[in-house]
Amino acid sequence: MNFSLDEDHLALKQSAAAFLDKEIALEPLLKPGASVAHANYRSHWEKVVAMGWTGIAVPESYGGLGLSCVDVAMVLGEMGRTLAPSPFLGNLIGTWALLRLGTEEQKQRILPAVAAGTARLALAVGDAAGDVADHSRELSAERSAQEFLLKGARAFAIDAVGADWLIVDAHNAETGRRGFFLVDTKSDGLAVDVMNWRDLTRQVCDVRLNGCVGEETAPFTPADWAWVRDRILFALAAECAAGTQQILSMTAEYAKERVAFGKSIGSYQAIKHSLADMLGQAECANVAVLYAAWALSEEAPQASLAAAMAKAFAADAYVDCTHRSIQIFGAIGFTWEMKNHLYLKRAHANAELFGNSRAHRSRAIDLAQQAAA
Amino acid sequence: MDFRLPAENDPRRAAVRNWLSQHPKPSGRQLAEAGYTVPHWPKPWGMAAEPELQFIIDEEMGRAGVMPPNPINPVAINNCAQTLLTHGTDAQRERFLMPALACEEIWCMLFSEPAGGSDLAALRTTAKRDGENYVVKGQKIWTSLAHKAHIGVLIARTDTAAPKHAGLSAFLIDMKSPGVTVRPIVDLSGHENEYNEVFLDDVRVPADRLLGKEGEGWRIATSQLQTERVALSKPGAIWGAGPSARDLVNGLAASGHLSDPVVRDEAAKIFIEGELLRLLAYRALSDRMNAKPSGPEGAIRKMLAAPHGQHIVEMAKKVQGPRGMIAGEQPFPSQVGSGRGSYSDWDYAFWFSPAVTLGVGTQEILKNIVAERMLGLPRENDPTAKLPWIEINRAKST
Repeated sequence: MNFSLDEDHLALKQSAAAFLDKEIALEPLLKPGASVAHANYRSHWEKVVAMGWTGIAVPESYGGLGLSCVDVAMVLGEMGRTLAPSPFLGNLIGTWALLRLGTEEQKQRILPAVAAGTARLALAVGDAAGDVADHSRELSAERSAQEFLLKGARAFAIDAVGADWLIVDAHNAETGRRGFFLVDTKSDGLAVDVMNWRDLTRQVCDVRLNGCVGEETAPFTPADWAWVRDRILFALAAECAAGTQQILSMTAEYAKERVAFGKSIGSYQAIKHSLADMLGQAECANVAVLYAAWALSEEAPQASLAAAMAKAFAADAYVDCTHRSIQIFGAIGFTWEMKNHLYLKRAHANAELFGNSRAHRSRAIDLAQQAAA
Repeated sequence: MDFRLPAENDPRRAAVRNWLSQHPKPSGRQLAEAGYTVPHWPKPWGMAAEPELQFIIDEEMGRAGVMPPNPINPVAINNCAQTLLTHGTDAQRERFLMPALACEEIWCMLFSEPAGGSDLAALRTTAKRDGENYVVKGQKIWTSLAHKAHIGVLIARTDTAAPKHAGLSAFLIDMKSPGVTVRPIVDLSGHENEYNEVFLDDVRVPADRLLGKEGEGWRIATSQLQTERVALSKPGAIWGAGPSARDLVNGLAASGHLSDPVVRDEAAKIFIEGELLRLLAYRALSDRMNAKPSGPEGAIRKMLAAPHGQHIVEMAKKVQGPRGMIAGEQPFPSQVGSGRGSYSDWDYAFWFSPAVTLGVGTQEILKNIVAERMLGLPRENDPTAKLPWIEINRAKST
């Protein structure tokens, strides 16, 4: 047993941190009306590609780095800590989906390009309410000769805009069951629009498919979807845990500098105790994410439970700590010109995407009871 | 990174299992002489065990149904006796350690006073040198086990002219000495003797019972609070000695309460909290194994674990409705829980729970420590820290 990070992990985290600290400037987003386009979105992505991070979860046999979820947590954590505006997460989620759900031919065709950064993936599985379970019939797939024609819509697709390939789930009219389909975004009948999404650092999209062609993916079981879903939960949790740590650091620094009644506000217990509570949450969120990362890397039996716990805990911690941060900064923290709201919005967005904390807690109870039985 | 716990076929388990099969009901002395009472101590008291072996020993003892000696003599084994290794004399180690580890002499900690709880260094009990003795005068309070104890670890003021932290010294006193009076405090759970008052009226303590040197009392007292063995205890009520969050979920499942969505969500929060606290404890263990500084986990864990224990028993009490107000009534159809003795009693654990955010540092003091030491926030200014102690009291009385 060794619950501590290895030297390799720490080195990866440090190099990611050094790169992103130099690279990411959120200031352009602190003007009303700004979007990711103003925050070096394109040039930053080119550098991410040059770092090889697009291949982080692509196995070496498909030209990627084939790193584990623990390694992914190092990079993703730094992306989350800096709120790096980039399609890194959407591409990563799409990579996991194709890796587990795609046919061998599809993987060989697409994953090397993803690793090289010449193609980008995204996953679109949410219905209009954001539900990602398989009972949605808002998108249907009907067979037409060798292909399927997709009709309907998907929403809340992270980084779908600008992606080269989408993986969507649809109600397969032929089988009467859920199916996954690969869609070339150059196809006719596809429209992808960025939603008016509160989290300014990320592009979350509506996808409309009007008879657009889809390629069927490989036959799958519920366990295959669970494999993808657990990684998505872990990824969102990793961003949350690192963001919590970051907002805590920013707020603690502010509390040391800001003076009221002749003393720094951090010397008052009302502030001190709130920050101590935040640190407790940050530590728990961090260990929850690392445990999930390890369990997923090992394909351990408790991986689903670990991912559910990490998402539920880290998202709630992030929401609570970003709220506290604004209270401690005081009224200035409520303005658009401060970064606090960027973190607050990322926290709320991550908390709601792919199932809220209450849903994952309920699942965690079931999973724990099953494991104990 | 590897979250796997030591495997079932780990060769280090064999020796432990073998010993336990030869000693199915070991006495305190047998455990102490084998080194199992304090495996992390150096020989001859312990076995210089690395943390993973400590983990294995705890686990194997638990499986064999052997109660660890720590709860019988916690002050000695968990906190105070270890300081004799660094601060004690050979004669003190010879006289005190084995009887303490064998649980033949119970220890208590004479630290807190009516006028010095959170501000421990302000304590007023004095020890004046008189020939070959010190004469101790004062009063202690919140002393666990004082009614059973043979030995008291006393912090008293030997220099009233020095600043408050500098004038303190540590002693090992005989609790049967003339002048020592123990009076039980009936706490709100109705239990007597969980805590006591101890009156010290001109108690004569031989000078060779001084631990370390005069003036080292504060350093010894604070180091005693940090020598705790790598905490392997499960997170749970009563500082981990009572029911755990896993017990709670099992009880709620058995009693059908988990189908109530509100109960289910609250229980899940507590369950996840418990699992994460367990992981934090394991990580602290790993950090020790990797010889890394133990980091902020210790203080943070204490800060999180005490309220966590309260959440467990509050939830269990809440589902009982008015029946929970009947003394001794248990929340679940069958007794669930891995607590030991009276600590497995859910009703007692609930009524005891206000104490866990007071004892061993109040929650407020712990949060100050976490914020100041881990986040670097400015320390609370103590206007009395540099004054000669005697002047603090003069200032107060005028």
